[in-house]
Amino acid sequence: MMPQLSALSFRTKINCGIVLIVGLIAIPLAYLTWRAAAVSLQEETRKRGLVLSENLAMRISDPLLSMDLLRLKNMVDELDKVDDISYAFILDRQGSVLVHSFTGGFPVALTDVNAPRDGKPNIRLLDTGREFIDDFAAPVVIVGTPFGTARIGLSRTKAEAAADRLALMIVFYSAAAMVVALAPSTLFARRVTERINRLKLHAEEVVKGNLDPRAGPPALRPCSAILDCDKKLCPAYGDKNRRCWLTASPDQRGDGPESCRDCPVYREQKGDEIQDLAETFDVMAVSLKTHLDELRRTEQVLTRQERLLRTILDATPDLVCLLDENSRYLAVNRAFAAFLGQSSEAIVGTTDREVFPDDEGPDMHAQNRQVLAAGRPSHREVRLRRPGAPQWLHIVRVPVTDRAGRVIGLLRTARDVTQLKQFQEQLIQSQKMESIGKLAGGVAHEINTPLGVILGYAQLLQEDVPAGSQILTDLQTIEKQAKVCRKIVADLLGFSRQAESAKIEMCFNNSLMEAISLVRHALSLERIVIAADLDERMPIIYGDPEKLKQVWINLLSNASDALGSRGGTLLVRSRLFVDQQKVTAWFADTGPGISSENQSRIFDPFFTTKPVGQGTGLGLSVSFGIIKDHGGVIRVETPAPEGFFDALVTNGDNAPGTVFIIDLPLDHEETLGGPQLADLREA
Amino acid sequence: MRRREFLLTGLLLPFFAGCGRDEDAVRVDLSKRQEPTMRQQPKAVSYAYLPQYAHTVSYERHRLLLDYLSRATGLTLRQVFPDTFEEHVRMVERGEIDISFSNPFAYIRMAASGARAFARIIEPSGKPDFKSQIICRRDNTALASLADCRGKRWMAVDQSSAGGYIYALGEFYDNGIRRSDFAEITFAPGPGGKQEKVVLAVFAGICDVGSVRDGALDILRDRIDLGQIRVLAESKAYPGWVYCARQGFPPETTARIAQAFFSLNFERPDDAVILTTAGMRGIIPAVDADYASVRRLADKLGLDTTVGGDE
Repeated sequence: MMPQLSALSFRTKINCGIVLIVGLIAIPLAYLTWRAAAVSLQEETRKRGLVLSENLAMRISDPLLSMDLLRLKNMVDELDKVDDISYAFILDRQGSVLVHSFTGGFPVALTDVNAPRDGKPNIRLLDTGREFIDDFAAPVVIVGTPFGTARIGLSRTKAEAAADRLALMIVFYSAAAMVVALAPSTLFARRVTERINRLKLHAEEVVKGNLDPRAGPPALRPCSAILDCDKKLCPAYGDKNRRCWLTASPDQRGDGPESCRDCPVYREQKGDEIQDLAETFDVMAVSLKTHLDELRRTEQVLTRQERLLRTILDATPDLVCLLDENSRYLAVNRAFAAFLGQSSEAIVGTTDREVFPDDEGPDMHAQNRQVLAAGRPSHREVRLRRPGAPQWLHIVRVPVTDRAGRVIGLLRTARDVTQLKQFQEQLIQSQKMESIGKLAGGVAHEINTPLGVILGYAQLLQEDVPAGSQILTDLQTIEKQAKVCRKIVADLLGFSRQAESAKIEMCFNNSLMEAISLVRHALSLERIVIAADLDERMPIIYGDPEKLKQVWINLLSNASDALGSRGGTLLVRSRLFVDQQKVTAWFADTGPGISSENQSRIFDPFFTTKPVGQGTGLGLSVSFGIIKDHGGVIRVETPAPEGFFDALVTNGDNAPGTVFIIDLPLDHEETLGGPQLADLREA
Repeated sequence: MRRREFLLTGLLLPFFAGCGRDEDAVRVDLSKRQEPTMRQQPKAVSYAYLPQYAHTVSYERHRLLLDYLSRATGLTLRQVFPDTFEEHVRMVERGEIDISFSNPFAYIRMAASGARAFARIIEPSGKPDFKSQIICRRDNTALASLADCRGKRWMAVDQSSAGGYIYALGEFYDNGIRRSDFAEITFAPGPGGKQEKVVLAVFAGICDVGSVRDGALDILRDRIDLGQIRVLAESKAYPGWVYCARQGFPPETTARIAQAFFSLNFERPDDAVILTTAGMRGIIPAVDADYASVRRLADKLGLDTTVGGDE
């Protein structure tokens, strides 16, 4: 397959060009010369034929008059000896052939094909099938009287053969000239190709990054030596490797090479186009190297800055991302990627509708569009549903603009404020509890006095009525219910911390055991087993034994209620954490547990899941208040941590269970050793 | 049209223009060959003019006279053109020429074979006789008289030529100069036009002296500068050219022709044109005895006047 023209080597192209040029000159020249020669020869042949025929006609006058056939025959035979004369013959005035030069008879068809016209010679082109012949018919006129005709045939084919030979000769010499021309052209092309190849190798070195080699030849003298120039600050000063018109400072070189035409340096050092190219190449390489160095330095700075920026972005726990004008992610930080559970690369290019759940993505996307459209920042808090607990994010969207002020994207930062929200809710709850406590305390305080009067009078009246009477029974009922009311009032006062507390040093375990022993019998009737696992170090705390006992009884009572009639196991555990200066108690049951929505409300006053009349909803809230008054913390975990009951025989009960955990501070330094870390599982 | 197409057209036009032949060729089949056969000439009275000049000149001179003869006698005449004097004489002897117009010396040779004179012409000079002129170049100072011709190169017209050779030879003889006294004697080459060739040979310096009949110089008057030719001497006058009929030619026919000749009158413009063209002023009767002086000259010079003499 013939290679494409552009793929041919330079040397081949030059040789082809030479051949083409010589061919383009030689072939038309040969053709035109051949044509001109053919036309000229044809014209010459016609003239010659006319002269020959007229000469013959004149010469044969005498022998024709004397009918000297021998002389006539000699004359035509003489003509026939001429190379290009095909024939000659003579007709008398009647048109009879007198003599002819043919051998083997006279061709009869030849007689009438041509004749003189108006007494003058006539030329006719004959085609014999083998060649073309110019037939000349000259009249033999003697004193105005036609005596016959002299006919001569000149071969045009032979005449044209001469022209053909001429053309062939031109073609031959042209071919020879072409061959001769190819030798210097090959040498020339080789020289040029070598220089171009050197340039190519140089270019390859440049591509490889080696910008130091020089392609152009060094000058014998630098421009500063030629011009005796002492401007040492000029870049071209003393430089033999590069030409000053390419490297000199602008104020030295003026308008560039065009203005250097008359400079002796330019005249001395100027080379041909390839040398110009090589020298320009060198300058380009140097310039490229300078620019590359600058580029590398800039790249290093940029890389460091980018790394810093990335570090900042990735280190921040905030969810940071940059979106384009179509709300597609351009970049995200590590926290954002982790939040979505995808890699940064997977997120870039997507939109919120694709990476967020269906019930969140469209809203996020719409918010983005609003900011992009309005061009104003926005911030809002959103609540996202996540497994376990809802998550609150504070999202700030800032539009990003170009120099013209056109919005080209937005920067979005989101901060997890779930904990803050919880704190807010707790604060609100606390404030609410405080208000309720104050209200309840005030009410209880006001009710306490009349209630005491009611109780007192009820007890007094009992002394005045006979025993066994209906009135006494009613008074006893009044007294009993009044005492219930006083208990409620006392609880309310305790909840509002309006009740007096008497804190002393007390044994934590003893407090627990007292409460257990009080309820054990009653709970056993409900088929509830109480297991105690108390710290053997007998931790001492500073507290109100009665109130704490009330807390323990509340918790045990709650557990009993949770287990209900089907019974179960109740585990009470205590542990001392010396390093944390606290003692912890666990009250665990194997009941059905507390629903998640109720977990945050169980410590609220008057919150109860029991039927009306069976609970006041004050037990846990009072317990909360007592523990809080002791500087401790009470919290609930439901279901109970896995393995919590492993140490017990739970009769195959697989209920989730609930654990109340109470941390109370120690008020003195314990010297006893113990576990370093309180851990539920280890416990 | 775009520039490229113009260029292409300009480049290719000469090629297209040069293609093909610019004339139609006539197709000729040269394979059918046949040897030509001459047509038989119709019966006619053959008339010949002694080849004193080229045939065309002879034809031109006598064309009108023959036309006149044909008209006047009702005979069909055909002019024939012997190449040499000798051939002319032989043809008369062989009967191939019926009417011969020749010089006196040729006549006495033909008379030997039975030909008889019946008319003679009046020369343009108005005399019925003529002479030979001996010529040389005007710048040839070595030739002042006939005696100076000894040792010179002499070109004559023909051995049979009366005015061109024999009369001059008689003149040299009478002046004591023999043929052996010349460095060489040559005769004009080739057939026809011999008188002119002698003049041209003298003019060109090929020979020192030449001999022509009187009146010959006038033929070349318009072709060469006759001022360069000098007439060195003239011979005695001898009877002019003569018409004779071959032996056996019907006398009545000869008489009809003679009568027609004699009827020509130079005073008549038409006849004058005929006679002037033929180089004569008139034709008068003649008999064989009129040429006795010529026979004597031949005898004097030792020339053979019999049929089949020297060639």
